[in-house]
Amino acid sequence: MTTATVAPTTALPRWRGTGVTSQIAILTGRSLRSLVSDPKLVIFSVLQPLIMLLLFSQVFSGMANTGSFPAGVTYINYLMPAILVTTGIGAALQSGIGLVSDMKNGVLARLRSLPIHQGSVLVARSLSDLVRTALQLVILLVAAVVLFDFSPAGGVLGVLPAFLLALAVSWALSWIFLAIGAWVRNAESMQTIGFLAMFPLMFASSAFVPVDGLPAWLRVVATVNPLTYAVDASRNLALDLPVGNGVAAALAASALLMVVGIVAAVRGFRRSLSF
Amino acid sequence: MNDLMIEATGITKAFGDVTALDAVTVEVPRGSVLGLLGHNGAGKTTLVNILTTMFPPTSGTARVAGFDVARDGDEVRGRIGLTGQFASVDEQLSGVDNLVLIARLLGATRREARARADELLDLFDLTAAAKRAARTYSGGMRRRLDLAASLVGRPDVIFLDEPTTGLDPESRLGMWGIVEELVGDGTTVLLTTQYLEEADRLADAITVLSAGRVVASGTAAELKSQVGKRAVHVTLASPQDAPAAIVSLERHGLAPVLDEPRAELRTPVDTSADLAVVVRALDEVRVEVAELALTEPSLDDVYLTLAKNKAA
Repeated sequence: MTTATVAPTTALPRWRGTGVTSQIAILTGRSLRSLVSDPKLVIFSVLQPLIMLLLFSQVFSGMANTGSFPAGVTYINYLMPAILVTTGIGAALQSGIGLVSDMKNGVLARLRSLPIHQGSVLVARSLSDLVRTALQLVILLVAAVVLFDFSPAGGVLGVLPAFLLALAVSWALSWIFLAIGAWVRNAESMQTIGFLAMFPLMFASSAFVPVDGLPAWLRVVATVNPLTYAVDASRNLALDLPVGNGVAAALAASALLMVVGIVAAVRGFRRSLSF
Repeated sequence: MNDLMIEATGITKAFGDVTALDAVTVEVPRGSVLGLLGHNGAGKTTLVNILTTMFPPTSGTARVAGFDVARDGDEVRGRIGLTGQFASVDEQLSGVDNLVLIARLLGATRREARARADELLDLFDLTAAAKRAARTYSGGMRRRLDLAASLVGRPDVIFLDEPTTGLDPESRLGMWGIVEELVGDGTTVLLTTQYLEEADRLADAITVLSAGRVVASGTAAELKSQVGKRAVHVTLASPQDAPAAIVSLERHGLAPVLDEPRAELRTPVDTSADLAVVVRALDEVRVEVAELALTEPSLDDVYLTLAKNKAA
């Protein structure tokens, strides 16, 4: 501590601050850097869907021979588009949990004391999580092709839009989970809410078995379950089946969720951090 | 522009039914240090949060560095630094990346940001650990990085909320040195603390908060003259000796106060030489002493005295 450079030095002009776009770019860069410096996070996040892929593809492979199953489709080709969607939803939940843990570790308190727009912090997190989710889904797709013989009828031109749709749904839902995180502010509660919401939604849908094969009461639930529509749209794209207005509906619903999520997240986030 | 860098008038903050601050007024002239003294829950952090634009007051107005905290939040945030009770650093990022991030957000170019980060790391003795993730830092290092982070933008006013709570004695001394250096460079400082000793050492003026109210303010010397002096605490081996001991002490010109349940005599003294007088006085009447200590006035004494003065 010998030099006296701590305090305002009149010779140096004060920095002028940054615009919202640069704030978002700088903060997104910060999150992506920790992604590169700690690739374990991505690897681990792929592990769970991989295990699900392995178990389901083995346990339910006989399903492809039952009557309610689309003719000529193997179970892995049926399952994989759904796994893309459910993995995307899981990633959206992680986004909310990540926000809560940032609140805990004090970064957000520091960012709050700076002359920046607080919304930038949320947008940056959402963008960097989007990149992470995309990475995760790509790894999963490659693994499915290499390890499990995933080769849907739609080919690359079918899988690409299926992947993008799953990503869009994930992005929209991530805003819902960011909103929940900004209000609930407790990682354990987030996990519980996520688990309670995810599992029934996943199983009472067309994700793993055709809706027609479900018991009557569950079929009703699956028919109103929004996940069914996202999964169906993604699957029909990948399998080169008629999509009807499924994609448009899934995108419209996602857009709606996203708008609601953004408004709620920003409002929740701007409340004080200290109670 | 007037020369008050912090000017808070009649700040009241209510959280539901709880009044955390009740008509608090503080003024801090440019280049000086205000010590905000109080126990946990006195409202120190609430006041800091209002002055640093974390949340608005329920009523009252505050200007920091010439800007209204409620209206010109960004202007205020661009001119202040804040170091809270818990280190607000990104655990995942290295020390240097933490500081570069803040400089970039404040508008520095990559090169300027890097230069400022290196300068601060050097200043806070963190150069060797610059490239390590902050999660690997010790408590003291983390606090230094946190303080460095709050200085990145060369703030005019810096808020230090209990900067030494939880630090070991050596780190505490280091932190005091840094604060003194900041002040030497002309920065205005608002420091909260639970330790009278710390406020005494660092602050030009002290404001004592209790249950959300200002109960006293003035220089350390003024405050101490209100509180009184150092005192010799004597615990008697047998409580029935107390009257004899008091008589003897009074004969030596001292004014002991008896704390009956604890069989403890508290005798204010002017100098440490008076310690010998106390011992002699007790020895003359053959009073057996279980424990004897010379104590500096503490925050508790400040509170006790202020409460007593108010009751009187």
